[in-house]
Amino acid sequence: MGSTRISSRLPSAALFLLTLSAPAMADSFLNVGKQQPITVLINASPWYNGFQAVARLYEKQTGNKVNLEVTPFPGMLEKVRNAVRSGGTSPLDLVNINSSNVVEFYAGGFLEPLTDIDPTFKLPKQVLGFVDAGCWDAKKQFRTCASGKLMGYAPNGNVELFYYRKDVFDKMGLKVPKTFDEVIANCKKLQNPPKSYGYIVRGEKGDSISYDMYAFLLAYGAKDVADAANGDFTVTINSPQAKQALDKFLAVEKACGPANAGSLGQGDLIQLIQTGKAMQAQAVVAAFPSFDQPQKSAVVGQVDAAPLPAAKAGGKPGVAIGSWVSAIPKNASEAGKKGAIAFSKWFLTYKAQYAYAKAGGIPVRSDVFESDLKSKPQFRWMQAYLDEMPYGRQMLGYTEGPAVTQILGLRFNQALIGELSAAAALNKAAKDMYALFKKDGRKTGMLPPLAE
Amino acid sequence: MKAAAALATGGSDYCETSSTRICLAREGADEKNRQYSLWCRACAAGAPSAIWCQLMTSAESPAARRALGSITDLLDRHIGWFTLGPAILLLLLLTVYPIINVVLMAGSSIHFEAGQEVWKFALWSNLRELEHDRIFRVALRNTAIYAVASVLIEMALGLGLAILVSSMRRMKGFMRTLLIVPILLPPVAIGSMWKLMYSFDFGVMNQVVTGLGFQPVNWLGSTSLALISVIIVDVWHWTPFVFLILFAAVEGLPTEVIEAARIDGARTYDIVFKIIIPLLKPAIIVAALFRTILAFKVFDEIFLLTSGGPGNSTEVVSLYLYQVFFEQNQLGYGALLSLAIITATIVFILIGYRVKSATEAS
Repeated sequence: MGSTRISSRLPSAALFLLTLSAPAMADSFLNVGKQQPITVLINASPWYNGFQAVARLYEKQTGNKVNLEVTPFPGMLEKVRNAVRSGGTSPLDLVNINSSNVVEFYAGGFLEPLTDIDPTFKLPKQVLGFVDAGCWDAKKQFRTCASGKLMGYAPNGNVELFYYRKDVFDKMGLKVPKTFDEVIANCKKLQNPPKSYGYIVRGEKGDSISYDMYAFLLAYGAKDVADAANGDFTVTINSPQAKQALDKFLAVEKACGPANAGSLGQGDLIQLIQTGKAMQAQAVVAAFPSFDQPQKSAVVGQVDAAPLPAAKAGGKPGVAIGSWVSAIPKNASEAGKKGAIAFSKWFLTYKAQYAYAKAGGIPVRSDVFESDLKSKPQFRWMQAYLDEMPYGRQMLGYTEGPAVTQILGLRFNQALIGELSAAAALNKAAKDMYALFKKDGRKTGMLPPLAE
Repeated sequence: MKAAAALATGGSDYCETSSTRICLAREGADEKNRQYSLWCRACAAGAPSAIWCQLMTSAESPAARRALGSITDLLDRHIGWFTLGPAILLLLLLTVYPIINVVLMAGSSIHFEAGQEVWKFALWSNLRELEHDRIFRVALRNTAIYAVASVLIEMALGLGLAILVSSMRRMKGFMRTLLIVPILLPPVAIGSMWKLMYSFDFGVMNQVVTGLGFQPVNWLGSTSLALISVIIVDVWHWTPFVFLILFAAVEGLPTEVIEAARIDGARTYDIVFKIIIPLLKPAIIVAALFRTILAFKVFDEIFLLTSGGPGNSTEVVSLYLYQVFFEQNQLGYGALLSLAIITATIVFILIGYRVKSATEAS
């Protein structure tokens, strides 16, 4: 009860602190003029407090009203679908869509290109593009800014970071691992179940394991399909690289994970870090502020962040970007569209992004990451985030993406719980994906099956 | 109403009643006037003003009166259709139309272009997909196991509790209230509560298990245990529902029969199995039928506890349909799956009915 009360006060406290400095900053915030009230669909996530605080600051500074339609993650997709598919005017003026689902809305023609609403709209060069998450080439049916139109921008660039217990590492003289083999070497000294676990990664069937496995797949150079950007949907998930990645994932889980690794979801993972049971872990950056909340965490100030491990020394980390995309429905009212553009312009300014980061959001401007915030203890994750950015990749940028996530989420999980061997899991995933692409009339094919 | 009936049949003697005379007086009609009869009937039928009465006067010719009579006859004969019509239309719009739409969807592939739905005929490819869909078959099998196991346990426990609480002399009301608490809780609260209780590292279940000196149990993460774990939650959630139905039935049983049996020296076992349970049969069938249908549609508990995992060990048809229709956005195939589920449910219930009939016959 106490923690609920405190957490519900956080946005108000953040807004109060922000508004204390607002008069001095007011002039330098963007003047967007008088706009009609807008409704923004936003998910109830760890970074929501930051977004709420910034939305209130926008209202205070501009006098323009922003209604926040706060929705739990599982309800977001259907709310957007209902708003854009049902005909008539959309009740939502600005929608946030998970990047793994946004292609459905791009391809379905439900979103208005931002420059069609305001030809002067341009993302400031400091705004991180998260590998073209907000662009759509209707001809290629693929996300790319090179030939596509700007449909939206990321309000939050979520990636996974490597977390570790700095106090324990210092005490035991351990080094921050750069490879998965070093993770395993560390966890041999740290693994002491059920008191402590050497490395925690999500293994729950579905989105959880599917997303977390990309840290391994990308590190080992594996791909789901050959060249989706150019229409080649030959399935490559059963490549030798993917087999190496899955083998390593299973080895890490076996040596360092808990007995219930196959059912470990986001909530369980955060709980294990907060209670001090997880010595090393990979989790989204948005979870980091919760490790430092005294009312929730037993390890305040003791968890530090680093880039994800690579496959081999000197290799690249596998960074899958799980961003959101803020976009404007085609069927929003004209006044709503204009209001949403005005809010977006304001939101992407340095000052607004700085305030957003201070209030608990994950900013999307590189200059905010390079600001004085980086040296403050509560933002100690920022350097690791910046170090990972060059390796960031958007996954599944095609319409079958959500179905492929389900396929991979099942097969990887079956390998983890021992129902299938790694090779069998990848072969089955490849077969399922091939059937899916073939049904949709894609140019597809398959690699020879792996030896099972 | 009486006046209206008189009007419809063209009766003229109705004006002799006292109420009509009052009416005429109010309208200022002259009893000796040749229009006496029509004025009188119109006013008696509750005509709001003299204008209506004038209209009625114009209908005094025999032909007009016959026409009027036939209209009122028609109204009388089909009054049912006129009153039920709107409700039937609404029912058709809200149930039959969606069913037709689902059938049409099931034979199509649906995607969106330029903000518009694009339907393509794809019945054969959808059917082929269903034929080769192994996950659906696993989900169907799991659902059947889930429904049979949970309903059987709930029926046994519900019946036992109903008889036990009914036989209590004190605290009967308190126990009844206490036992129905689980069905009052929202499914999301139940899912969250049990998820915490089953937590491998922090759950109360494993605290008890380890407190007794055993290794912690992987309640939701083991393929052999996960389905049993969610059945336990279902039993906890829905046994009170069975209890409530059967408790009401037990309370309504004729006490003389049971007392007579007792005087005749029947043992408790005989009273329960040879008198109470046979008498409760109609209530037991109703409870079992309701629970079977609900168990077959299970979604919330499994979605919250395991999301169908690990692997496919707790995948059930409703959850699979949700994944296909909402998460994968395969609208056509999702519709076909929903029809397959409806068919499976009906077949499942019919099998149960046949088994029951065969048992009764033997």
